[in-house]
Formats: sequence, C-alpha cells, structure tokens
Amino acid sequence: MEVTWIGVLIKAIIILAVISAIAGFGTYIERKVLAFMQRRLGPMHVGPYGLLQIAADGIKLFTKEDIVPQNANAFIFKIAPVITAATAFIALSAVPVFPDFTIPSWIPVLGGTFVPSIASDLNIGVLFVLGMMAAGLYGPLLAGMSQANKWGIIGAARTAVQFLSYEVVTGLSILAPIMLVGSLSFVDFNAYQAGGIGDWLVWKQPVAFVLFLIAGFAETNRTPFDLLEHEAEVVSGYATEYSGMRWGMFFIGEYANMITVSVIAAVVFLGGYDAAGTLGWLFIMAKIAFFFFLMLWVRAAWPHVRPDQLMWLCWKVLMPLAVVNIVITALVMMV
Amino acid sequence: MSEVQTVDNMISITIDGIEYKAKEGEYILNAARANDVFIPAICYLTRCSPTLACRICLVEADGKQVYACNAKVKEGMEVVTSTENILTERRAIMEVYDVNHPLQCGVCDKSGECELQNYTLELAVDSQSYMIPDTKRETTNWSSVLHYDPGLCIVCERCTTVCKDMIGDAAITTAKRGGAELDKSYKESMPKDAYSMWNKLQKSVIAPSNGTGETNCSDCGECIAVCPVGALASRDFVYQSNAWDLKRVPAVAAHSSDGAQIYYEVKPTSITDRTEKIYRVTNEWNYVSLDGSARFAYDFQNTTASKDKAAFDAAIEAFKKAETIRFNAMITNEEAMMLQTLKEKMGVKLYNPEVKAFQTFLNHYEAASGNSLWTTDPDAIMKKSDFVISIGAALRNDSPAMKYAFNNVQKLNKGAGLYFHPVGDTLIPTFGKTVEVFTHKVGHEELALYLVLDLFADKEKLPEDVKEYIDSFKKTETKTIKEKEVKTVKEMVLNEETGEEEEVSKKVTEMVDKEITVTTNGLVDLLGGDASKFDAAFEKMMKKKEHFSMMLGEDLYYHEKAENIAKLVALVEATCDMDVVMTPPKSNALGVALICDLDDAQSGYTIGYNENGDFRLSALGDGDLDMPALNQQEGTLCNIGKRLLPTNAAVEYNGYELNDLMKVLVGAPELTIDWTAMLPTDRGFKAIAFDDLTNSFDNDGSDNRGYRLETSNVETDLPEVEKCDESALLEGEIAYRCNPARQFNDFTDKSHEIFEAFALYASTEKAEALGNKVEVVFDNGSITLDVLADEKITGDIVKVPDFKAAKGVYDLFGGSRYKTVTLRKV
Amino acid sequence: MGLEQFKNRNVGTQNYTMVDAGHSPQGAMCQFKQVVKRTFKGELFVGLWVTMRSMIKALFANDMHTVKYPLEKLPISPRYRAIHDMLRLLESGHYRCIGCGLCEKICISNCIAMDTRYDENQRKEVSEYTINFGRCIFCGYCAEVCPELAIVHGPRYENASQQRAGFSLFEDMLTPIDKLNLQQEYDGFGAVSPNADENIKQTPLAY
Ligand code: SF4
Ligand code: SF4
Ligand code: SF4
Ligand code: SF4
Ligand code: FES
Repeated sequence: MEVTWIGVLIKAIIILAVISAIAGFGTYIERKVLAFMQRRLGPMHVGPYGLLQIAADGIKLFTKEDIVPQNANAFIFKIAPVITAATAFIALSAVPVFPDFTIPSWIPVLGGTFVPSIASDLNIGVLFVLGMMAAGLYGPLLAGMSQANKWGIIGAARTAVQFLSYEVVTGLSILAPIMLVGSLSFVDFNAYQAGGIGDWLVWKQPVAFVLFLIAGFAETNRTPFDLLEHEAEVVSGYATEYSGMRWGMFFIGEYANMITVSVIAAVVFLGGYDAAGTLGWLFIMAKIAFFFFLMLWVRAAWPHVRPDQLMWLCWKVLMPLAVVNIVITALVMMV
Repeated sequence: MSEVQTVDNMISITIDGIEYKAKEGEYILNAARANDVFIPAICYLTRCSPTLACRICLVEADGKQVYACNAKVKEGMEVVTSTENILTERRAIMEVYDVNHPLQCGVCDKSGECELQNYTLELAVDSQSYMIPDTKRETTNWSSVLHYDPGLCIVCERCTTVCKDMIGDAAITTAKRGGAELDKSYKESMPKDAYSMWNKLQKSVIAPSNGTGETNCSDCGECIAVCPVGALASRDFVYQSNAWDLKRVPAVAAHSSDGAQIYYEVKPTSITDRTEKIYRVTNEWNYVSLDGSARFAYDFQNTTASKDKAAFDAAIEAFKKAETIRFNAMITNEEAMMLQTLKEKMGVKLYNPEVKAFQTFLNHYEAASGNSLWTTDPDAIMKKSDFVISIGAALRNDSPAMKYAFNNVQKLNKGAGLYFHPVGDTLIPTFGKTVEVFTHKVGHEELALYLVLDLFADKEKLPEDVKEYIDSFKKTETKTIKEKEVKTVKEMVLNEETGEEEEVSKKVTEMVDKEITVTTNGLVDLLGGDASKFDAAFEKMMKKKEHFSMMLGEDLYYHEKAENIAKLVALVEATCDMDVVMTPPKSNALGVALICDLDDAQSGYTIGYNENGDFRLSALGDGDLDMPALNQQEGTLCNIGKRLLPTNAAVEYNGYELNDLMKVLVGAPELTIDWTAMLPTDRGFKAIAFDDLTNSFDNDGSDNRGYRLETSNVETDLPEVEKCDESALLEGEIAYRCNPARQFNDFTDKSHEIFEAFALYASTEKAEALGNKVEVVFDNGSITLDVLADEKITGDIVKVPDFKAAKGVYDLFGGSRYKTVTLRKV
Repeated sequence: MGLEQFKNRNVGTQNYTMVDAGHSPQGAMCQFKQVVKRTFKGELFVGLWVTMRSMIKALFANDMHTVKYPLEKLPISPRYRAIHDMLRLLESGHYRCIGCGLCEKICISNCIAMDTRYDENQRKEVSEYTINFGRCIFCGYCAEVCPELAIVHGPRYENASQQRAGFSLFEDMLTPIDKLNLQQEYDGFGAVSPNADENIKQTPLAY
C-alpha cells in the first residue's frame, strides 16, 4: 500500500488524540490502581466508578487560572511545557502504534486511504525515539530554570543530572538488542521476534531488558526515581510554579513518555505485535498495558531513592553492567 | 454605731487558745463572729432571740458544754469550739437533718447558697446511720408571695423567730406534722443533743399561726430571706434561676425612708432576650431586715426609655419657661442637688408636698433644740433601748424600720412601749406584754407629748407653766377600796398524840375596807387610755428600764401645730433622758429636706418630675421625657439612720438623665455621681466622691455603708411651748392619708409582686358599713375608691392611700394628714 | 470493627509489642553484603507482592477499607465527644433534664443557656435550653457534671456550619419520642463507672 501524506496526517492525528486520551485515562488508572493497592476505592463520584473524573480534571485544568510568576522568564516559562509534550509526541511518530489499516471506501473523501502503523517508519527509528526522549529533558530543565523559584532550580538541576545519566544507560542497554537485530527500525525488531514467545529478545537479553526498564523508570521520572518533582523534598521541583494547562502539558508529556517506554519495551523485548491484524493489536496492547501497570505497581510498592543513591546506581552499577552486557553480546555474536 | 465601745465594757475571752476581746453580755457565738472565728450555727439569727432548735453551735465553755448562741461571755472565759464529743454531736445532727431530706438540690432554688448543703459538706456527712418513715408534706402558698415546701424545711424556726422578734407579725409558728415516732432505741444509741433535736424536728412543720392556710401578714418576705434551706421561697422566684447565676448589685431599697441595704440580683431575661432583669432582692439579713416594698418592689425600672432628641429639646424649652418644678422624695441626693442648682441659677420654685412639711418641722426642731438632726436611729434603738414611745406614726405603714425596732425592743431588750395613734391597730399591742396603745383623738398629739413629759421629765428642769399645765390634768380623789389583809391568829389545839393543848399560830386572810387617795391622770383618759389602770401598768413597764427612745412620725409634720410639737419634742429631749428619731416620709425625704430650699406652693408653668405637671419628666415611662428609675442609676440616698448611702444601677437605662439637661441648661459635670462630692457640707454632707464611699457591714454588724451625716448641737434655752389647742380636734368622718404596707409610690405600684390596691382601707366593721365603693368628698374635691377591709385596723378612721401621684391625693388633703370628709356610697 | 479496645478506659494496661527494626550495616563490606543480600533475596518482589496481595484482597475478598463517608459511617467510640443529645427516661418518656443548671455553670466556653420555670405539676420545667455550637469546645464537662445523664455526647460529629454561631435548641437534641426505643444508653464521658455499686454507701431506709 502506498503511504500517502493524508494517511500520515490521519495517523498523526490519531496518535495525538488517542495517546493524549490514554494519557488522561492513565491518570485515572493510576489513581485506581494505587487506591486498590492501598485498599481504597479511588475516584468514585464523577460518573460510574469515577470514570468521568478525567473529564472533570480536564475541565479543571483548562479553566484554571494561568499564572506566570512575576520574575519568571515568561517566554521560556511558557514554552517549556510545550517542549515536554511535543517531544513526547514526536517520539511516538517513529513508534508503531496500532497495526496498519485502510479507511473503508464508503467513507466519503478519505475513503480508501491507507493509514500506516508508524507515522514515519524511519530506518533509525530507535535512535530517533531515544533522541526525542532525550530532547524532552529541556522541558523540565528550562521550566525549572525559568520560573525564579528555588525549588524549581533544584528540580532543574536534578533533571539535568538524572536524565543525562540515564540516557547513557538507556542507550547502552538497548545497544545489545540492536546488535542482535542489526537494524534500528522497530519494524525489523518486530519481524526479528515474529517466531513466537521463544523468539522474544527478553530471553536473549535479560540483562539489557532489566537495565532498559530501570533506565526507563528514571527517564520517565517515575517512582522510585521521581526526584525531579518529589513533593516531600522539593515541593514540586521544576513544576512548582506551574498550574492549569501548562502543568497539564507536563503531565501529558509524562504519560506519553510512559507509553513510549512501554511501547519500546514491548516491541524491542517482548515480541511486539506477534501476529498481524486484530490479534496482534490486542497482543501489543496487552504488553504495553503490562508495562504501564508495572510502573503503577512499583510506585505503590517501593519507596523512592535518594539522589546520591540514584547516581551511584547509574554510574557504578548499571553502566558497567550494560557495558559488560554489550561486550558479552558481541563476543557471543562473534563466536 | 452610736454605742461607743469603750475599753470598759470590753472583756477578754479565749477561743481555742487564742485571746479575743468581746463585749460584755454578748453571746459566745456573736463574740466569735465579731472576731472572725467560725462556730457552726444554723438556727440563730443575730438580732433575734436564740431558739435552740439546731443545737449544732455546741461549744465547751470553761469545761462545760453550752450552746454558743445562748451562753453569754464572761471575763476570762475559755471556749473550745470542738471536742470529740461535740464533733460526734454535730455529725449526728447533720445526719439527722439529712434523714428523708429530699435529694432535690438539683432543682432546689437554694442550691449553692444552702446552709444544709454547706454544713453537710463541712461536717463531711458521707453516710447515714438513722432512718424513719417519711411523712408526706404538701407544698403550699401562704400568701401572694410566700411559697412553703415543708419537705425541705428543717424546722430551724428562723422564719418564725424573725417574724416574731423582728417583723412583729408573728404570722407563722411551728405546727404538728404528724410524723412517725422515733425508734426508742435511738434514745440510748444516739448522741443526746442530736436525739432531742430530731425528736422535735420529727414532730413539727411551720404553718400560719392564725390557723388558716394564709398568713395574712405584711408580706415582707423576711422569712424567705432567713430560711437556710429552700423551704421558703418567693412564689415568683420558684425555679426561676440558680443562685449562682445571679449577679448581685449592691443598692439601697428605694421606697421607704429605711434606706435598707439590698442586693438587686440580676441575670439575662431569657435565652432570647439577653437584657438583664432583676430576679429578686436579697439582703444581709443578719444586719438588716427588709419590708415588703424593699424586697418585692424591684422591677420598677423605666424600660421604654430611649434617647429621644425631640423630647429632650422640648424638655429644655420647658425648663426655660418653667416657674415651678414639682417633685417628690423618689430622687437621689445628686438630683436634688441639681434641682437646687436650677433654683439658684434660674430662679425656679421647687415644690415638693411630700417633703415640705418634714423640712419645716426639722427647721422648727433645730431652732428649738439646737440639734441639726434627731439623736438616734432604729439600729441604735434595737441595740440598747428598752423603752420606746411612738407618736404620730402609723407604725405598720409608714416606717418599717421603726416598726421593727419598736417590736424588737419588746422582744429582745425586755422592753416596754407606748404607742400613740388615732387609728386603732390590733397588731401593735401583740408586740409585747408591756405595750400600751393610746388610740387618741386626731389633734391630741401635743397631749401625748405632754404625757411623755409628765411620765419621764425631770420635774426640776421643767418650766413652771408646763408643770402647772400638766398638773391641771391631775385629779385627786379619795376612794374606798377592799384590800387583803393577812392577820396572824393564835389558837389552842389539842395534840392527839400527846394529849396536850398547844398554842398554834395560823395565818388568815381578811378583806378590809381601806381609804386611799388616788391621783388620776386626766391626760391618760383624754388620750383614750384608762387612767385607773395606767399607773399600775406603767409601774410594771418601768421596771429595770434604762434607755428611752421616742419615734416621731409623719402625722406630726403635717400637724397644724407642728411648730409647737417640734418645741415640745425639744423640751422632751431637754428634760427627759430620751433619744428621738423621726421618720422621713418616704424614700429620700431627708436628702431633699437637707439639700433643697423648698417653696410653699407651685405656680405658673410647672415641670413635674414623677409628679403631675405641664411638662412631665418621668421614670415611670409615661412622661414627656424619660428619666432613669432609682434602680437604673447610681447615686446616694439619705435614710432614717442619718446616713448617706450609695446605690448602684441594676438594670440598663437608655435615655437621658437629669444631668444631661443640666449640662445644657446651666452646665454640669460629666456624670451624675460627680455631684456626690458637691453636696452641701454645711448641711452635714461630706466632700467624699461616690466611688470612695464604702458599702458593707462588718462581721459584728457595724454599718459601714456610705457615711453618717455630720450633726451639730448648739446649746439652746428651753423652748416656750404652748398648751394643747383643743380647737384643732377633728370631728366626724375622718380620712387619714396612709398607704397600705408595701405601697409607697407609683414605683411600688408598678412592681409586679406588689398587690396592695389603691383603695380605701377601713376596719372590718367600717368597711361593712361603707359597702364596696365610696366617694370620699373633701372640701376641695373628691375621689372615688373601692373599700377594702383591713382587719388590723380598728375604729372609724379610714385610710386613703396617696401612692398614685396622678390621683392628686396630696392636694386633696392640702397640707395635713387628717381631713374631715364625707363618705358617700357609690 | 469491635469497640472493646475503646471501652477499656484504663490507659496503660493494654499490651504493646516492640517492632524489630533491625540494625544498619557498619562499614563498606557490610553495606556491600546488604546490597547483594537484598538483590538476590528478592526483597523488592516481596514489596510488590504485598501491594498486589492487598489489591487482590481489596477487590475480591471484600477487604476494601474505604468508608463512603456521607453515605456510610463508622461507629464511633462512646467516649467520643460529638454534638450533644438530650436523653429521655426510658419508662415514662419524660425528658431527663431536671433543669439543675450545672451544665450551664460548668461550661467553660459559656455556651449553654437555659430558662426554667415552675410548672403546673410543681416541677421545675426547662422552658428553653440552647447550646451555641459555634463556641462549644466539646470538652464533655457538661455530660460529666449532669446528675441525670440527661445531656450526653451523641454520635453526630458533623458540625460544620456557615456561621460562627450555631444554636441547637432543646428539641433539636432531645430524643424524638417515637424513637425512644432506639435511644442508646450513654457509655461515655461522665457515665456511671462499671464499679459504681462498690463505691457507694447504702442509705438505710425505714420502709
Ligand atoms: S434545701 Fe439545700 S440541701 Fe435541701 S434540696 Fe435544697 S439545696 Fe439541697
Ligand atoms: S421554713 Fe426555713 S426558716 Fe422556717 S423553719 Fe423551715 S427551714 Fe427554718
Ligand atoms: S462540651 Fe464543654 S464547651 Fe461544649 S457545651 Fe459542654 S461544657 Fe460547654
Ligand atoms: S446538668 Fe443535666 S439535668 Fe442539669 S440542667 Fe444540664 S442537662 Fe439538665
Ligand atoms: S445556733 Fe445555737 S442552737 Fe441553733
């Protein structure tokens, strides 16, 4: 099928719409799951089982007063959340979300248009995604530095330290699977593992998988590595001065990143959408959902670490392990 | 107090090892109290006779157990207030009091100020050893104000004692309860005094002494005040408020000239209305006794007042054109001073018919005797007099303090009394066995004073003409009377045993005729007494009498010959060993008399202050400009005891005061009480600021309220007195201007617990003859009144009250208290 | 939830258990050993399991702790001092308050006010009674001092209001006469102690 620009556009719109919806829904899921794990009910009152809570929150975010602190650098303050949200979504453009499909021909105008699974199937997909995610660190960094707030500065400093460090581990950990697959395209990853559960890269690269997960938590700023805006220590870190929709964009960005990391983990290590068509669609959804759930679960179960422990873990434990893993993978491949 | 405590009549005693000074002849209890030593006592009332009902005041004096309220101190006496036996007795007594006493403190009106509660706790009664079946005793109302709950009564007899010894009505007494008999075994097992106390308690309750269910007394409420428990209460106060919720405002009773110490007890009216209201009046009943107006006429405040600027401006205009200000005795010294200032600066006349006659009389008296004021007071009379004479006062109605003193002297000082009054009274003779009542003709008051001179004067000192005049009444006649004669008769009697005749002397009484010369005192007969019996009676009266006092009432001030009477009084003082007290007619009459320069009549445009007038200032809420009533303002009043007494505002007042008018008219200090220190010192006042006035009693009963007015005494010659002018006698139907007890003015009438009607009061027979309603026709007008029978009045004279100013009764009587009238049935 | 532990008023007699908090590692080697031990002992997974177990129990074993507050309420301890109730006598249904005014007197925030009167049956009748809950500090003195166990602290603890002053009248607090059978005897502050009988002395009675 021909990939037309209309198809790509439609795909982009779908991603934007669905992912931000899912991000919103994610907040609901997160609150629910955390509640259950603490034997609470979670949101219950807006809509059945509190389902419309997302809508309520959305309305709240959109209508809340938009505050820019007096001494903040207004321009940077304003674009920082956009950077976070935008990079998160741009990253998603190179990730296969949903299988391909063709718009049924009875629909006027767009009928017959082919919508690809990946908005842009770059041959350096993995690198692009990782790059975009890394570029996302400008969001919190600029936000923290522009808002003229001490907590913000600390948040920004932590952003720089944490994201930069873990970028290294992410890259190194995913290098080994790349070496095995021999491609940077997600489609190739998928194809590589198409043989069923036994072919999943997680079995060949368990260490890389674990390292990637840990680094993923750190990159998405999730417990136990949520130091950037850890309330108990730095009020809200880089987001201290944000409110309303600007704060909402950070939020959406974070959830979009969580989805991205989940997608990458699913595609790279757990076989992607093994089967074509609806079944595959369900498979990958289930895998993504699992990773997403894992993040919530971990948040409910574990305490967070101190910044020094975080760096210790990164540079003294994870990085050496990743390097060793690459070397071993290389050796195995040579043999 | 007037009695000077010299070192001579003080002795020393020891109580619990500590040496104290005490007055000779005082009871141990009072001596201890005066020295701040606590001895438990329930039934004893300071100025009444001991009843020995409670027996809790047991002490050991010189090794013997005595009752502290009944045993007198002796020089060097050693008193021990508690021994083991005494403690056992006391504990048993309190346990007995608690037997079957309802567990009712939760709702009892007395709770919190109950002596039974206090002593039960004081003696730590935490268990009960005695029991007896209870008797059902019904709650009753004795009168329009008295509420008696015999279930709570501990038969301490304080109520009956105060009613008899102080008030004089003796309207209540102990009666049979019909309770169960005490178990015989208690006689052995119980402490002795506790047993006998219980034995009496178990048999008695209190009941009206006339045998009906109604006391028919003067409704003074003093029995309520002295009741140590919740048995006696004012009907209006039952279950209205707990004692501890009430705030006490020290004040002076406003209506009679007693100026009795009272507390207005206030708290918010209700949950929804938080303005304070007076719930009751209490007093220091050990030191003062109230009459019904003081205790029950308390809610006479002006509630409707507001700062009405238009009315205020109108008042200023009225004052500017006023020729006369008419007022009465319901006014503080400060206000009187303001009016006097107005007179001085603006030349208005001050017209006060209630006080004018009194003031004139005082002036005559001062001129004749050299004393600026009378020489004694009711308190001093009670403390030491043993012979009292009352002339010209309707004792029951005019002056409660004098009535109490008259009665108390009979009861406590083994006294005697002479009562001169044209209106017959059945109560006064019951005050004591040696009280002689003279129901004389209207106009014979001078003769009464001549009789006093005859009986008490040092004849040496009397001027010849007076002596002659008195002697002219004496008649000497020879009478044959039968007299007992005892003769000794000697007889020979045969002794049966010995058979011999013996001489035996025997006493035989024989009646023999005897000639004697009898001097009959015509004065006694003229005054309505019985000369033939009087001498003997008087001889009995005079036994062991040392201190003589004379009480003078309002009748004399309004007497046509008031000046001569004043001179006679001065003569009595000069020639007899006699103290004199005069009743100021109502409220602050003395203060007004001392401060204001009163005019004889009103004329022109008149401002009435609580009186009729063209423009009316009124504390009754019905005038053209509101004024504060006496329970709404600070100020001072002068009383019969010649004291200046501070009183305080009990309830709030929202309108203008006289001082506000003064500020605009002639300039005045900031506050009404700033005038207190400016009262005229040449009339006996002192330059003491209101806030510096003391207001209390000492433990020994000394009165420290305000200060005693300075009195002066100038040596004068004996006054020239005239003979009694028989032409002043009134004949025919006579009306007497006299209020029922408890009523004094519009304010008492306004109070909701005063029920005495504005009506014509007459003896039972007279009332029957008159029917329900009469028109009383004076020579200058008439008034129509209901007729009410007062069974304590005898004779034909009818009493016409004057307490409603609007009825103009003063004007009808026109300068006298008695008038010949025509009574027309309506 | 049982109330036994609340009903035990004798503070200090409960059993307390000490928690074994362990020791912190001393020295680098010890620290290393701890890391290794923790890594391979799977302590982290224990944590995961605990939360997962809680979730499963909450969802499927009916072990949800949330109380849907305005709709559901937990029973509160009888010692809790909430909005006052005025109780009635169980037999006659007459209100218990005798109008003694002790509660009014003892109230340290001075928020009780009452009016009483002499009624037709020669009893003291409470004609008005209010508590200003804007001032009440729920100290419980009134319940403790009340000789009749008439004023007690009830279970109504929702006392938010839009004004500072919030007055309750007698009828608001009084057990409705038709709910008399539902009236609970008060067990809380100021109630008769369980051993009251031992502490009183008998008064002899002649009948
Ligand atoms: S009289 Fe005294 S002891 Fe008796 S019920 Fe009343 S307060 Fe209690
Ligand atoms: S009524 Fe009161 S004062 Fe009179 S005997 Fe009884 S307790 Fe005593
Ligand atoms: S709980 Fe305390 S503050 Fe509240 S009404 Fe009772 S005594 Fe007063
Ligand atoms: S303490 Fe009890 S009986 Fe007394 S007034 Fe208060 S509620 Fe009524
Ligand atoms: S006070 Fe002395 S017997 Fe009662």
